[in-house]
Amino acid sequence: MSNTKNIHKGLLERFLDLLLIALIIFMTLKGGTSGACAACKYQRRRCAADCPLAPYFPAEQPKLFQNVHRLFGVRSIVKILEKLDETQKPEAMKSIIFQSYVRDRSPVYGCLGVTQQLQYMIWLAEEELKAVNSQLQLYRSQPQNGQNQNQNHNNHNQMIHELGGDNKQQEDVTSQQLDLGMGLNVHNNQSNVVTPFFSPLLPVSETQQPQMSYTYSCSEVNNNGYSPPAYNTDSGKEILTNNNNVWGGQNRFLYNVNNGGGFSNQNESCHEMKSNNGVMAIQSQLVNLQMASNHQQVEEDEDAHEYDEIHQFLEIIDDRQSFADSKEAYASSSGGSLKEQIDEIGENELRSAATCFSLTSMN
Amino acid sequence: RETRSNLFKKLSSRGPFLVTPFKGDIQEKMSNYTNSPCAACKFLRRKCTSDCVFAPYFPPEEPTKFANVHRIFGASNVSKILHEVAPHQREDAVNSLAYEAEARLNDPVYGCVGAISVLQRQVLRLQRELEETNADLMRYASCLGSETTSAYGGRRG
Repeated sequence: MSNTKNIHKGLLERFLDLLLIALIIFMTLKGGTSGACAACKYQRRRCAADCPLAPYFPAEQPKLFQNVHRLFGVRSIVKILEKLDETQKPEAMKSIIFQSYVRDRSPVYGCLGVTQQLQYMIWLAEEELKAVNSQLQLYRSQPQNGQNQNQNHNNHNQMIHELGGDNKQQEDVTSQQLDLGMGLNVHNNQSNVVTPFFSPLLPVSETQQPQMSYTYSCSEVNNNGYSPPAYNTDSGKEILTNNNNVWGGQNRFLYNVNNGGGFSNQNESCHEMKSNNGVMAIQSQLVNLQMASNHQQVEEDEDAHEYDEIHQFLEIIDDRQSFADSKEAYASSSGGSLKEQIDEIGENELRSAATCFSLTSMN
Repeated sequence: RETRSNLFKKLSSRGPFLVTPFKGDIQEKMSNYTNSPCAACKFLRRKCTSDCVFAPYFPPEEPTKFANVHRIFGASNVSKILHEVAPHQREDAVNSLAYEAEARLNDPVYGCVGAISVLQRQVLRLQRELEETNADLMRYASCLGSETTSAYGGRRG
């Protein structure tokens, strides 16, 4: 009898072992010891087979879902996904994850800050392009003989001098308050660091160092004679002397419901000031921005593993398709729309956008 | 009862308040009648207290602003974000959220990220154009330099 009992006991134990092994194998096949996606893990619930968020939030990247949950919330995400086609859902989720990531990095300005920084860079590049084209025009119009070369040299030097501007004039110019319709109050000392967009957006290290390198490059440019458009606000002078301020300017951020928050330029006087900015300073500034972006890229690689999807996000977006679709969507909106905003980002608007981004002065 | 009737008389004598019999804290109600509730409290159909976190940033004249933000992000998330941000930055935070909410409503797939993508490509295009133009400029400058040195060399010779 005891032998039979022992045999039964042994079989039972062996059966339980087999059951345990089968369970482990099943869990492993499902994707890990728990099998739940990051969303369900965060919410501490069982991850169903038809979980709508599971494809977009792998368990290995919990931070992605945390950012999204903080900004949008699960209900909002699910509502957005329900309205979309199957083909649009992955793109929508990527944009939501990206937006949440940017909001996590820049809690105050989020994607709006990124947009305005890009507009500023566009303005910088256009100004430099204009200056370089004018120099090129000068060279092309030169006669081949050497007799006029001295004269042209003088003209060239004079042009450079004029474009270099008068620093004293810049210091005396009273500041102007930019009103884009959505002017930006940028006085902050948080780490609102946004990667300069000469490379696809990469996650920025959480340390202050990237911000300091960017700020340093701006200060270095100011030593070369570039003076930012001044501001009329009371804190304008404070901003100009604050080397820790990345944006370097303070503008009142107004949400104009009438134009639906579109970017409309209401300050033309900034244009004259901008035309006096130094060409060489702009060139060195762009170089410094590139250096800063490279510096940031080194730091960003350290956190790259956590945001793999975001690295490839901007390459995946088809701007033609998205913008064409968005244009239709914008056209149908009754209030001011993003389409108007982008359409109105003409030359004047972009120049005015630059007043959002006055650089710090060393003085 | 006598206290209430006296209070009604006092209220009606002070100004054109809409005095109706009500229960609850009279002082609080008076403040609500003098200052209309903010757009958030109107939308949420709740009492707008003096310490309402939304009141300074969602004026009653802009109802769609809060409606959009609430539809996309939710009032509780906005409230959390406002509490995490410094007081002097809250207005900017609200306005950026309003911008993002409107962009997401206009384009449910890409939201404001579509604009970022377009602008980034524009930046890259301009940078490429700048590089090409600078290369042209360098070429002309070097030609000019070589002609100048030859001219000077001729004069000295």
